[in-house]
Amino acid sequence: MEIALGHYLTVAAILFTLGIFGIFLNRKNVIIILMSVELMLLAVNINLVAFSAYLGDLVGQVFAMFVLTVAAAEAAIGLAILVTYFRNRGTVAVEEINRMKG
Amino acid sequence: MIIQTIAFYVFAAFVVGSAFMVISARNPVHSVLFLILAFFNSAGLFVLLGAEFLAMILVIVYVGAVAVLFLFVVMMLDINFVRLREGFLQYLPIGASVGLLLLVEMILVVGVLATSPDTVAVAAAPTPDITVVSNTEALGALLYTKYVYLFQSAGLILLVAMIGAIVLAHRVRPGVRKQSISAQVSRTRAEGVELKKVKTGDGI
Amino acid sequence: MAELPNLIPAIPELLLAASALVLLLFGAFRGDTSTRTISWATVGVMALAAVFIISGPSDGVQTFAGMFVADGFGVFMKLLILLGSGLTIILSLGYLRDHGMERFEYPILILLATLGMMMMVAAADLISLYVGLELQSLSLYVLASFRRDSERSTEAGLKYFVLGALASGILLYGASLVYGFTGSTNFDAIAANIAAQEHGASVGVLFGLAFLTAGLAFKVAAVPFHMWTPDVYEGAPTPVTAFFSVAPKIAAFALFVRVMMGPFGGLAADWSQIIVVLSATSMVLGAFAAIGQRNIKRMMAYSSIGLIGFALMGLAAATPEGIQGLILYMTLYLAMNIGAWAIILNMRRGSSLVENIDDLSGLAKNQPMMAAAMAIFMFSLAGIPPLAGFFAKFYVLLAALDAGLYTLAVIGVLSAVVGSFYYLRIIKLMYFDEPAEKFTAPTREVGLIITAAAVFTLLFFLFPAPFVAEAELAANALFR
Repeated sequence: MEIALGHYLTVAAILFTLGIFGIFLNRKNVIIILMSVELMLLAVNINLVAFSAYLGDLVGQVFAMFVLTVAAAEAAIGLAILVTYFRNRGTVAVEEINRMKG
Repeated sequence: MIIQTIAFYVFAAFVVGSAFMVISARNPVHSVLFLILAFFNSAGLFVLLGAEFLAMILVIVYVGAVAVLFLFVVMMLDINFVRLREGFLQYLPIGASVGLLLLVEMILVVGVLATSPDTVAVAAAPTPDITVVSNTEALGALLYTKYVYLFQSAGLILLVAMIGAIVLAHRVRPGVRKQSISAQVSRTRAEGVELKKVKTGDGI
Repeated sequence: MAELPNLIPAIPELLLAASALVLLLFGAFRGDTSTRTISWATVGVMALAAVFIISGPSDGVQTFAGMFVADGFGVFMKLLILLGSGLTIILSLGYLRDHGMERFEYPILILLATLGMMMMVAAADLISLYVGLELQSLSLYVLASFRRDSERSTEAGLKYFVLGALASGILLYGASLVYGFTGSTNFDAIAANIAAQEHGASVGVLFGLAFLTAGLAFKVAAVPFHMWTPDVYEGAPTPVTAFFSVAPKIAAFALFVRVMMGPFGGLAADWSQIIVVLSATSMVLGAFAAIGQRNIKRMMAYSSIGLIGFALMGLAAATPEGIQGLILYMTLYLAMNIGAWAIILNMRRGSSLVENIDDLSGLAKNQPMMAAAMAIFMFSLAGIPPLAGFFAKFYVLLAALDAGLYTLAVIGVLSAVVGSFYYLRIIKLMYFDEPAEKFTAPTREVGLIITAAAVFTLLFFLFPAPFVAEAELAANALFR
């Protein structure tokens, strides 16, 4: 059985959904949310590379490379903010991120 | 062909399975390890698609740097693991229905593509023949010429990440003694040694 | 040997990037005592960049292999962004000094964020759009949590980061689908591909467009993607909030308009309904949710959501008049908001900032000039003629009526009436209530900014013609 573009897109769609799922379901730990964001970006990359192969166009791979770079920077900043937050509050539970309400 | 098919299904199954474990594992350390597994297997998918360079980047940069960074932070923040994730199931039904809906829609889109495969590629940068130019070389030739704007901008983004991490997390600790090589080297005899004339019999 | 790309259209961006690097080095050697010098240098660099933008090309010339475009729309929006960023840096000086936040990275992060915004506005390709957007967003995440010892500031940073990263992910997924189903990331090529389809755009493209729209709506904080705004506005340090409410809003809007009118201009009939819904819900929520707020930063957050809804009305019309109205709206929004935030930043007793609306009571007896300026901004935000805010709403409403969006226009008028309640409440507090303690007098720069913004808002009706003409020029650049 031939593996077509659709197979890869399906894998990416499942990954993306799991990522969104992880963000909204998680109520206990912000680190898991950051990892879910990484999963979403991984799904985007699979999409881009699959399209790149299917279209015979390298632009998709270039795009994926920049997504990787930016995602690394994003992870670094996210973790830095998380560490700062943890120093102030002593917790990373999502339910307790509620100093402001309204 | 059959090898490729088997490889695809193995990699895809592992990616999806470990992604699920990332969001559902009880212990954040396990989540990070499953994230690494997911990255390794998607690198496998990239190889199947002919994007070797990206596959290597994914392993080296992602597993080597980002995932390890996550691991550091998880270990550094002293979290009470037992108390974590007690309420996961409470939001499951509504989340699951929304997620499934989204998933079905997205797969439908994929199905639509299968019935109308006449999307014409504009191919701004056609993939060269792999026997003539390797994937890495072709990407490099594009990155440093056509996409130099993006390359430089990505550098700025990494700079912002660096500034950000320093601004937020770096603290100057008072009372820590540091070695200052320039101060050591630039000491002269005049400030290092003090000559005292001691009178005989008086002591200092 | 590859040819060097045409650098002339990108001179302002190159200038900002180079000076960010130089100033960063300067700061690293001189330490935090150089914050004031670097801040003023940053303002100078921005002014110089504005000069280059005005004298540079604005005929839609593309460079960097079609990644970057310099057209009339971009020129106008970039000038607004530079003005907003420069003024916020000046407004921040006093706050940084009083709160021990004098770190030289602050103006440099604002400079890099501004560079990211200009790259967003000049984007002509999905990849350069993404890179510019992330350069801006990452700087903003750090700025939001800049007071790292404050619980509220770091919490604001964390919330902003999580929701911003989610929005970026959604936007990217949309971008990947658009790339796959049209075969290109270039805006012109996408538009050509969509125009060439016989049966309209494929479902894949529409799906990608929906994801893109959701991501962009997050960035402009339109309902239902607004939930981060109140918390981030309240928690972030006040000058950062002032910055958030001006320059990034304008940039996100410019990007929204460019993406919708550029590559997807041919699908206006499809996306216009989504924008109508976003616009209507934002206006209604902005009007009602602001009423109960006691914290002025939070109130301004809801007020900005309502104003964003109004601006989206111009985009929903998808006509040159609509975009022209939107551009004018953003210009006047900049003037009113900068003025209002300058006053909020000056609600100081001694060296500490107060944030409750009640602290404004009796301001007219203590500081009549400041109260008068605040009254002008509040009347203007409420849309009372003949102040600038009235014209802002007027042009957008006119365009919406022209495009046949009657229901939306009625919702807009009604929500403006409801919304004027909380603006007028502030005026009542200032003029008719017992005076609270006096505020510290503003510094000379801040006083100057407040005066200039108040005069502009008050007297705009005397000279609207040049602005209207410039906005028309800028809007037409998108319809060639």
